[in-house]
This record gives sequence, structure tokens and C-alpha cells, in this order.
Amino acid sequence: MQKLIRITQRFSQVALVLFLVTFLVTVLVRLLPGDIATTLFPFATEEEKVEIREGLGTNMNIVSYYFRWLGNFLQGDLGIYYNPGESYSEASMTVWAMLSLTIPRTLLIMAYTLGFSLLCSIPLGMLLAYKVDTRIDKVISNILFGLSSIPNFAVGLGLAYIIGVKFELLNPIGYVTWAEGPVEHIKSMIMPVLSLSLGLIATFARLLRADIISTLKEDFVTMASSKGLSNRWILWRHVFRPSSLSLLTAAALNMGSLIGGAVIIESIFALNGVGMFLVTSIALRQYLAIQSTVALIAISYIAFNLIVDAFMPKIDPRIRSHRGA
Amino acid sequence: MALNLKILANKPLGYQLSVIWLGVCAFFSVFGELLPLPEWNYSNPDMLGVGMFSPGHLFGTDYIGVDQLSAIIHGTRYSLGIAFISVFFGMVIGGFLGILAAYRRGWVDAVISVYFNTTLSIPTLILVVTMVAIFASPDPFNPTTTIPRVFVVIIAITFVLVPVLGRLARSSALSWTGREFVLVAKSMGMKPRSILWQHIVPNVLPAMLSVGFLAAGVVIIVEGGLALLGAGAEPGASWGSLLARNRGDISLIPHTTFLPVFFISITVMVLNYLGDYFRNKIDGRESRI
Repeated sequence: MQKLIRITQRFSQVALVLFLVTFLVTVLVRLLPGDIATTLFPFATEEEKVEIREGLGTNMNIVSYYFRWLGNFLQGDLGIYYNPGESYSEASMTVWAMLSLTIPRTLLIMAYTLGFSLLCSIPLGMLLAYKVDTRIDKVISNILFGLSSIPNFAVGLGLAYIIGVKFELLNPIGYVTWAEGPVEHIKSMIMPVLSLSLGLIATFARLLRADIISTLKEDFVTMASSKGLSNRWILWRHVFRPSSLSLLTAAALNMGSLIGGAVIIESIFALNGVGMFLVTSIALRQYLAIQSTVALIAISYIAFNLIVDAFMPKIDPRIRSHRGA
Repeated sequence: MALNLKILANKPLGYQLSVIWLGVCAFFSVFGELLPLPEWNYSNPDMLGVGMFSPGHLFGTDYIGVDQLSAIIHGTRYSLGIAFISVFFGMVIGGFLGILAAYRRGWVDAVISVYFNTTLSIPTLILVVTMVAIFASPDPFNPTTTIPRVFVVIIAITFVLVPVLGRLARSSALSWTGREFVLVAKSMGMKPRSILWQHIVPNVLPAMLSVGFLAAGVVIIVEGGLALLGAGAEPGASWGSLLARNRGDISLIPHTTFLPVFFISITVMVLNYLGDYFRNKIDGRESRI
């Protein structure tokens, strides 16, 4: 019963946050200077402009505008997206049609980045913790510290210059879907994923190293090693799981922020993911596109956090007792 | 000067290098104007795309003939200025809200936490880009009244920093309000306001300060990202907008792109190092108790 109350409390808080996020974005969007009708269709007639404004609802006050958008959003209608330049009658697309192009790209980039950085950082972190305070550990830890401080656009620009321009190994611009050719797809993803992962690898490996070092001091490790278990067995079976908590939290938080935060890498490599879609929507005053996309991003960001919170006790049962559940 | 050197003497090498780097940056951002260099935005049509270490132009020039040394020095002032002003206001506002939330609990805490969570669930860059688009784009009917973009960037970045720093202040203050000495102070009849100022704030401040260094690094990166998206400070004024302006020439005169990248990366590294250093010191002090 108590659990049920806690869960409903949690979810009502989430609902409140989502309501505030979407309303805040609506206010911001409506504050954007310039009118969508004149920004996108400077040559439209007066009647057409009125029609556009009515189609978007921008002639209404902000509260009824918001609830109109919310109602449509909850029914799965994300709104209209106007292609600029063309005449108004052929220009309208749905936001969903645009997002269904961009979301898979962003999700793939995120999945590759997460997979690659965990794949590199877990062995690295364990190795460093195992060799703690040796020369290898000191050298690599310092390098990792440096790497974790380099912004991803610096890595991206460096890679684009060295690999893309100087040696012309990869095409630095554009995205190829899996269906167009798996090899080309992987090739187009190498540099973006590398530039997003390098900092993450360093961060994850340092987190894991610190946690393993503190876990190694625990009594159950002394116990295991006095039973004569091999170091490798202790490290993987006894130490890794309780040490992986902050790594997982950091991974989830980073993935949550990557949904919209990969935008600079997307812009450097011209990938047209969700982030770039949002930025161009802001520039083109695509009100409904901005609102619906930010709402989706906020939902997935909060969902990521909820999932992590729900899984923590499964990984380390000791957490449950701390929280009194 | 001798005194300064003595302060540095017993510290690790990384600390010495970091302090020196920040000191040099601070010096040039204050006195850079006095150097006999061309203006940061003066483009010399006879000197287009000169390479590094050429006579008269130590860092070369870009494709419109702007001296890069002068531009980098001017960028130091802007980038560090943006970072420190927004972190300062972020810490003051965020720290106030966070400590208030932790100390008062109840509905105050609920309201402030919801505010923090709301702003945190919108992607940082998107929020800042939107705010810059709202407040900095010139009004077509009244173009003279727009505030300089730097201020808009500072305000927008402060707005997203407040919840980040505030949440840290809140959790840090929460861990202190549960301590025995606070209980003792309460039982001795100390006023809540005095407990806050004498016991909570002095303990939260060092942690906030170490986070402040990390936050300043993040701000420099965010500012660079904003500039790359076309929403940064005036073109060429900060490291980020210098990078954004020169990025198109990466294949012809790569040094103009990589100079700002280098300065951004090193400064962020230095700030992260100092943040880590102070945090370890605080943790060490804690564990000794």
C-alpha cells in the first residue's frame, strides 16, 4: 500500500513536471519574434496568412492554444510542419513525418555511442582499478582525465579534419541509412559516434575505477579472496556488480541528455537528427514542431531517469534497505 | 609576486600549471587591450589566411585578415567573462534556492524541486538557443533597442545553470541539516536563520565552489556549442564564435579553427582539474573528521 502511494506520488510529480515543461515551451515559442505566416510564406496572400494562423491556432490566446496543442498531442497528432519556400497549399507536412525521419538516426547514434563507450570503458576501468597506483594506472588515468575535459565538438572537428579532410578516409558529411548500405551506414557513423564516445569513455572508466577501488576495500572481497578465489573471478563476479551503480546512473543521464544534446555533433557532421530538427524548427518558427519535439524529449529524459531509479535496487539490493522500502 | 610563488610551492604540478594558465588568461583578458596588436575585429585585406608564427601575426590571420592573436585575446575576455558571470549568478541564485529548499522542506522544497526538474528536462542547448532567438533577434521594427547578444547569452546560460547548481546545493545542504551539530544548535534554541548562516551555508559553500569550477568549464563548452549553432556572442568575439566563424575554412587554414578549440579545451581541462582538486580536498577533510 505504501509502495502504491509512493508510486502515485512519483507519477503525479512527473505529470506536473511534464505539464510545466510543455507549458513553458509553449510560452517561449509564442514569445519568438516574428510570425510564422510571414516568416515562412512571405508571398502568401492575406487570406492564406489568416488560414495558416487559424490552422496553427496562433490567433487564439496562449492558454487555449496550449490546450489545443495538448489535446492533439495526447491523441498522437503532433501538428503540422510547413516546408518553407513552396506555396502554402503544398507545403504542409506533419511533424510526425519529419520526426520519423530524424528519430531513428538519433536513437541509432545514441545506441552506438552507449554500446561503444561501455564496451571500451568497462574493461579499461577494471584494468585501472586492478592496477591501482601502478605507473600504467597513473599514466592512463591522467590521459583519461584530459580526454574527459575535451568538448565533443573539439573531437568532432579534429576527426573531421584529420580523417575527413587530410587523409580523406571517410566522408565527413551526411548520413546513410542502414537500408541504403550497411557498410556505408557504419562508415557514416564512425566519426560522430567516436566524437560523442571519447569523453564518455573517459568519464565512465574513471567512475568505474573509483567505485571498484572502494568496493575492493569491503569485507566481502577480503572474504572471497581468503576463500582462495581467483582475482579475475572476484573482480567479475563479486566486485563489478556493486561497483556499476554510478556508471549506470551516469550512462543513463548522459543518454537522456544526448537525445537533444548531440545537436552540435549532428550539425558538424550534417546528420539531421532530432537536435538539428529542433534547431532548424526554432529558426523557422515551426511552433508545433518545437512544442511536440521538446515534449517527446522531456518524456524520454524523465523516462530514462525513472527506469534507472527502478533498476537500481535490482542491481544492488542494499539500496532498497537504505530507502526503507 | 614572491608571496604568490610561495602559495604555489607545495602544490602538485597540475595545480601549479592550472593556476598559471588561469592567471595568464585573466591577465590577458584584463590588459589585452593595451598590447600593441591590431583590433580584434579589424580585417586587413593584405593579410588573408596567413599561417601560424608569421612575422607580425604570431597566430596568423583568418580568411578576412583578422589577427588571430588579438582575436584569441579578446575571446579570452568574452569566454571567461561569460563563464564567470553566469556561474556567479547561477551559484548565488541556485545556492539560495537549493539551501532554502533543503532547510524549509515542505511545500517550499516541493515547489523549488519541481522548478528544478522542469528546467532540467528540457535539453540545455535547445533552451538556450530558444531564449537567444527570443531575446536577441533584432526586432524588424525597432532594431536599435536590442540588448547585446553576450548579455542574452549570459542570462540564458544562467537560467539553465540555476537548477543544476541549485540541485547540488540542495542535496549538500540536506546532508548537513541532518548532522548532530545542527540538532544541538536547534536544541540550544538557536534561531533558524542563524543556524542557516552559521552552520549550513559555510559547509555548503566549499562544495559549491568546487562545483563552480566544473560549471565554468561546462559554460565555456555550452557557449562554444551555441556559437556553432549560430546563437553565440557577436561573430568572432568569443572563443566559441571565433571557432564558429572560422570553421568553414578548416580545409584551407585549419589553424584558425584549431586555435579556439585548443584554448577552449585547455581552459576546460584546467577548470575541471581545479574543481576535482578542491573537491578531493573537501572530501579529505570530511573523511578525517
